[in-house]
Amino acid sequence: MLEISIFSILALFMLGGSIAMLVNKQTLFSAFGFLVAMIGLAGMFALLDSRFLALAQIMVSVGAVVVLSMLTILTINAKEENLPHEPNKYKWIAFASLLVLPITLLIYKSTSALYASFATMQTINSKVVGKLLFSEWVLPFEIVSILLLSAMVGAIVIARKDVVQTQGEES
Amino acid sequence: MTTAAIIVAVASFALGALLALLTIPVLVWLERRVAGLVQDRLGPNRTNIGGFRLGGVVQSFADVVKLLLKEEYYPSHIKSGRWLFMLAPVITFVAALLAFMAIPFADTLVINGESLRISALPINYGIFWYMAISSIGVLGVIFGGWLSHNKYSLLGAARAGSMVISYELPLGLSILAFIITYDTIDFNAMVQFQSGTFFGFLPAWGILVQPLAAIILIVSLFAETNRNPFTVAEGESEIVAGFMTEYTAMKFAMYFMGEYVAMNTASAVIITMIFGGYQISWVSTEMLLENFSVFAFSLMVIIPLIITVLIRWMRKNNRVRPSIKADGGRDFETKVLTIAMVGMTLLVEAILIYLVFLSESSLANSIAVTLFQIVVFVVKLMLFNIFFILIRWSVPRFRYDQVQKLGWYYLLPLALLNIIVTAIVVVGVSL
Repeated sequence: MLEISIFSILALFMLGGSIAMLVNKQTLFSAFGFLVAMIGLAGMFALLDSRFLALAQIMVSVGAVVVLSMLTILTINAKEENLPHEPNKYKWIAFASLLVLPITLLIYKSTSALYASFATMQTINSKVVGKLLFSEWVLPFEIVSILLLSAMVGAIVIARKDVVQTQGEES
Repeated sequence: MTTAAIIVAVASFALGALLALLTIPVLVWLERRVAGLVQDRLGPNRTNIGGFRLGGVVQSFADVVKLLLKEEYYPSHIKSGRWLFMLAPVITFVAALLAFMAIPFADTLVINGESLRISALPINYGIFWYMAISSIGVLGVIFGGWLSHNKYSLLGAARAGSMVISYELPLGLSILAFIITYDTIDFNAMVQFQSGTFFGFLPAWGILVQPLAAIILIVSLFAETNRNPFTVAEGESEIVAGFMTEYTAMKFAMYFMGEYVAMNTASAVIITMIFGGYQISWVSTEMLLENFSVFAFSLMVIIPLIITVLIRWMRKNNRVRPSIKADGGRDFETKVLTIAMVGMTLLVEAILIYLVFLSESSLANSIAVTLFQIVVFVVKLMLFNIFFILIRWSVPRFRYDQVQKLGWYYLLPLALLNIIVTAIVVVGVSL
């Protein structure tokens, strides 16, 4: 009973945070919604007794992703009137959420049978995590790092075009 | 869980909460008195309750009363997001408070073969917890700065955010070097590692085993806690008060107290990771338990000596100038405190004598050792807090670009280099 009530509260936080992120006009409130959703997700992991995932979730999503996105928001400092006008926003959100429902179910079915070692780590044994990452999970690990590398290269290319253009204009 | 386990858990949680919260007024007082020391003046020492000044600590309570009774001014130009504007200081404060909870105050206490951790959260992944929770703190600063709708606040928030991003990397990398060296992410195991020696005689403290990583850790933690010389986020000569500009009364006090809790947490992490935590160097917990009578006798000698010096110092200093007749209750305070200190010393001596000669229980001995280690921890914590304060009052602030340059150009490459060297040495030793 206690678990179900905690789960419901966390789920409420996650749903509310995600909806707030999508719906809000002001970007900083969207970031706050994202933050709430991520902390709720970490709470879910903690509820499942997988402390490693819970803390990693807070460390990566909150400590890195949310802080970086908020810094971007601060730097861009977009006014509400400068944002694009989206009249059919809510319709699109509802339509898209209906669309991804079967895919979510498929992902849930396929991942619930996955290797349970990370999920049942009650006390964090960093050595076991490290060995697992670099032996059995080395391929996904490397694929993720390639994804990050490509994202980084993409960001540099996009930023560099601006720099080259402004330099060309100056000279 | 047995009854003993529950009692120990509750007691350590209470101790953690007390150490985190009750140090705030003490730290504020220390800040002002050490500032006085550095500037060759006295600092606040007149406030008293019935003649008791306690060196001026009472001033902090007067400050708290002032902050509570101040007008709760709310800037009218902030239209949307009032609740988040109010919540922002709380985020910073709570994050700093929670991060403190993983620090071990003493070695694991063994009761009937059950080892119990003496830390507010009995977890064996303390450093992981600290890294995760302390990274939330800056979010409060960014929210507060943004929602103030004020250019200075926005600048302060942007500075705080980018500084945290630039210093989280060297901090994490230097901690990684310590994790490689200690071979653990458990704070308690780290302290146990540091009670050993290397080269036969040097204590295996982090600052001696990993000097470079230790310096990077200290510098990055100074930056993370927004203390001088890294106070660019609230640099009053440049951007008024940074993210705190629009905050008043208790909302401001939350930021203010959050800063001190964060400083306290940073000191605790530093002494746990690189200054041997609750241990005295060369003396491990097992050694104390095995030679308990020797340890008790040396305590019986040392405690009266320290108390005598304290009392003499108090009698010499706790008085007004001789030309002034009215002493304002200072003689009375000195008398009462002397009696209290002597009484407590006698009590401790009696307990120690009882433990050595009359008691046969080894449990009482280990509880005595645990209490001793808690005292050592608190003394070290306060010493490092004083170091933080001394740095603040003796070093000028860096310019903002210098802060970023220090982080990215010097600390980050040094931390990376240190990791490579550490890994090579550790692998080479284990071969």
